[in-house]
Amino acid sequence: MKIHVYAGLKDYFQPEFEVRELVRNTDELKAVLLTLNDKAGEILSSCRFAVDEEGFIDSEFKLNGYDTIVIIPPSSGG
Amino acid sequence: MDMIPSSLSPQAVEDKPLDIVGLLSRVHHPGAGAVVLFSGEVRDSNRGRPVAFLEYEAHIPLATAMIAEILATAKAKWALQVAVAQHRVGKVPVGDTAVVVITASAHRSEAYAANKYIIDRIKHEAPIWKCEHYTDGTKEWGNNCNCHTVTGDVSKHIYEGSE
Repeated sequence: MKIHVYAGLKDYFQPEFEVRELVRNTDELKAVLLTLNDKAGEILSSCRFAVDEEGFIDSEFKLNGYDTIVIIPPSSGG
Repeated sequence: MDMIPSSLSPQAVEDKPLDIVGLLSRVHHPGAGAVVLFSGEVRDSNRGRPVAFLEYEAHIPLATAMIAEILATAKAKWALQVAVAQHRVGKVPVGDTAVVVITASAHRSEAYAANKYIIDRIKHEAPIWKCEHYTDGTKEWGNNCNCHTVTGDVSKHIYEGSE
């Protein structure tokens, strides 16, 4: 599964990387990400998640079968 | 029905300067007695620190789709003749426009209210981020929406003065 991160998340992770563990939902994905960088907990708790085909998703959404997950930190446009 | 020229995209997130005067000149509507233009511009300081420029990043497909939804909602809610919102990404110098919102309606109260609604939702919800680059060479991702610390939900926001 490919992960794309943006903005402040790039201080914690590479902009694009791969997660090989089986993750079924965003909570499980967050747990895996914390094993990669345990300092990312606070920012991850404020992020939204999206898959390109579906747009934004919630923690109930089944990630199985999706190749690319986008992690969206809090907005700061304008 | 609005009269925006077909060549003008009501919603856009692009790495090029925003021509707000040119944009305004193209969206007049005979049914609109009020046109409101908001230009969000790059300030030369942030929390007391001198800013050299801002750099905006976005998930462009998601941001564009979200702005389209925001405009459609605003047009329906306030019966707008025109609703346009365009956001710049990439490096934006001090004094340049980073985001423009134009609303037009029969009377001014609707155009003002809708314009505020659109920019508030873009700032809170659209996947667009700014990085402050300071004159001392440091940088900082900042001024994020932090509504989730109050609402407990990253998808629920608080809009000042909203209904």
